[in-house]
Amino acid sequence: MRGGGTMARRGAGRALTSGRTRRAALLGIVFGASLLAVTACAGGGRPVDLAGDVTSVARPSPVGVEENPETSTTSTTPAPPCDPRASYRPDGPLPPAGQMRDGTTMKAIQDRGQLIAGVDQNTFLFGFRNPTTGALEGFDIDRVREIAAAILGDPNKVQFKVVTSAGRLDALEKGQVDVVVRTFTANCARWQKINFSATYYIAGQRLLVDRTSNVTSLDQLGGKKVCAAKGSTSITTIKESPAKLVPVQVDNWTDCLIMLQQGQVSGVSTDDTILAGMVAQDPNVKIVGDRFTEEPYGIGIPKKNVDMARFVNAVLEKSISDGSWLASYNRWLGNSMGGQVSPPAPAYLD
Amino acid sequence: MVTTPVAEGPTAPGSRRVLSLPATAARSMRKSAASSPGRLFLIGVGLVLLALLTGVVGAIAMQQKNDTIDNLIDHREPVAAASQQIYRSLSDADATAASAFLAGGTMPGELRDRYDEDIANAGANLAQASADVSGVPEAERQVNELARELPVYTGLVETARAYNRQGYPAGAAYLREASGLMRAKLLPAAQELYEIDSARLADSQDAATAVPWFALGLAVVLLGALVAAQMYLTRRTNRLLNVGLVVATGAVVVALIWGAVALLFESSQVSDGREHGTGQVEVIVQARIVALKMRANETLTLVARGDGGEYEDEFEKLSGEITGSGSLLTEARDLAADDETRNLLAAAQKNVDDWLAAHKQIRELDDGGAYAEAVSLAISPDAKTSAAVMFTELDDNLLKALRAARQQFVDETSGASNLMTGLAPGVGVLALVAAAGVTMGIRDRLQEYR
Repeated sequence: MRGGGTMARRGAGRALTSGRTRRAALLGIVFGASLLAVTACAGGGRPVDLAGDVTSVARPSPVGVEENPETSTTSTTPAPPCDPRASYRPDGPLPPAGQMRDGTTMKAIQDRGQLIAGVDQNTFLFGFRNPTTGALEGFDIDRVREIAAAILGDPNKVQFKVVTSAGRLDALEKGQVDVVVRTFTANCARWQKINFSATYYIAGQRLLVDRTSNVTSLDQLGGKKVCAAKGSTSITTIKESPAKLVPVQVDNWTDCLIMLQQGQVSGVSTDDTILAGMVAQDPNVKIVGDRFTEEPYGIGIPKKNVDMARFVNAVLEKSISDGSWLASYNRWLGNSMGGQVSPPAPAYLD
Repeated sequence: MVTTPVAEGPTAPGSRRVLSLPATAARSMRKSAASSPGRLFLIGVGLVLLALLTGVVGAIAMQQKNDTIDNLIDHREPVAAASQQIYRSLSDADATAASAFLAGGTMPGELRDRYDEDIANAGANLAQASADVSGVPEAERQVNELARELPVYTGLVETARAYNRQGYPAGAAYLREASGLMRAKLLPAAQELYEIDSARLADSQDAATAVPWFALGLAVVLLGALVAAQMYLTRRTNRLLNVGLVVATGAVVVALIWGAVALLFESSQVSDGREHGTGQVEVIVQARIVALKMRANETLTLVARGDGGEYEDEFEKLSGEITGSGSLLTEARDLAADDETRNLLAAAQKNVDDWLAAHKQIRELDDGGAYAEAVSLAISPDAKTSAAVMFTELDDNLLKALRAARQQFVDETSGASNLMTGLAPGVGVLALVAAAGVTMGIRDRLQEYR
């Protein structure tokens, strides 16, 4: 720019000879100066940001997450009142393994050679895949193995089929599985469609928040996002809470934990047992407040297989009486839920 | 504004003079055209100008064509190859992470290496592909998405790995999230980028085979004008030949024939390179992408353990695209230029058949409750009949066929480039010869009038 100016001036000096050429030179200077002004203006822009303005980053979220899901229309008619804990009484002592009576559901399973069980592989302490061995483990998985051992004489003769919380009823109604053992709360609405075994554990809904949080109850989370699994009783409780929470539902319970870790939800609310499994994986979250629901866990069985329900209840009674229930409890839940516990007393319909 | 009166006085007559220039020229030209030597002079000037214009336009057109062809080899095709490599690496990384999860324990060494290589490969190729996207906003968007999400993906996989080592199922949850991110964002962006880059390659190939109508038209007009000038001169002077003009005509004819023949062969070679080269590459790449998707669905079905019906459905759907009549592999074989490629693709076909047989067995085992056996058949690198081995062999054979097709492209296209050697300066020189010939020929005749 400076060079252009000197050149124009030098040009002007040479032309200062006659009046006419002086005017012409003047014109040249004016022309040159305005040209400089124009190019100077054109040069003065703003610094260019090649990458644009990156101000917001969408964090990844678990597959299948839904915020503020529509309430399902199926549960509009309330189920008739019942005692969800009461199941079918066992008929006599268990037959020896591998000698099931003809015509029973258990005999069909024995002939098939394996029990088909709907379970979870993502809920720590209850039903999860041990990443080191690849085997399924947990308190619920122990129940499945007890049933398999009672029918077939081998706790490993099981075909595990992973079902989501939302897929449990469907799998039973379509007869895809013999049993569902998957932190399955027995309630009257579900009793309409399937049978439950006697209660083998009683959990209750509580709240999980970040360790630094001051929140102690759902009421303090009005307008905030709270996570639970699709098709669980917990998500219904969150939806119906008077605190006007924003329900966030996911396919697997552990997805709630990672959403809490990623700061995408303010809390997770479900059964204390499931929450205990999350605390065991991440000491930076804590369970707060009291239990505000009661969730009796039962083993789901297809509606038509009443004989199977009686059989499973006999297996549960045996497991409680021979101490294997307690051993299983201590192995999985003892550290998190406290050591002193007695198994729930079975209740029967008849 | 002080300058306005100053400016008006002296310049007004000058500008009037300038404005009247064309009119003056036209008047003098009309005057010249009225006399024979004047007309001859004008014809000469016109022919020289036309010859020079044709030379410049022709040389530029040939040079541009040459540049387009060289750019195909040096730039367009490598960029398309880089973006397909991004897709391949990302997809393989995802399938490898899922296999490693199935294998259990700490990630086996070879899977860890494979995953690391995939990520490094994707990153390196992304850097190359991103250097090329300015001015193509759609491609820029895809590169941006890839560059933003790739570190997020690897972060999730490492978190998953840390939890897996501690034996917590949160690892599986992070891995699911990572895989979801890959399938929802990274892979679609990579596929889109590849499609954009291969469309840009095809556009460049179109440009390389296009006929330079303007330059060709000018040359034909010049030739016509030269012939007409000679006929005029023959009529006027009763002399049959004018050496200068004959030389000029000869130069134009040589340039036209040279250019036409070179362009004809060039365009046919570029087209061959497209059909057996990049067109073939595209089909093989599609087959490779389908195979990768199938592999990911196969492993994810096992990861889901009974809850993966949609993955298996997708596997079935994809298997129909890669094999059978009218499938990608059949199409690729039809396009193959030599027996070696045909054999590679035949081997790939056999790999697919074996893989599908192994897959059927995996499904039977898994559905029949033999989960551990199903997993082993799916991921074991040792068993000869495992799906992992079949898939790896298939991918290797497709990669070899891909390399062969790329080589075919380079061979044909550089052949086309060789055909263009010297054409641009040649056209320029011939145009100068034509202009010189016209000048000499017309000057000889003009001298006769003095």
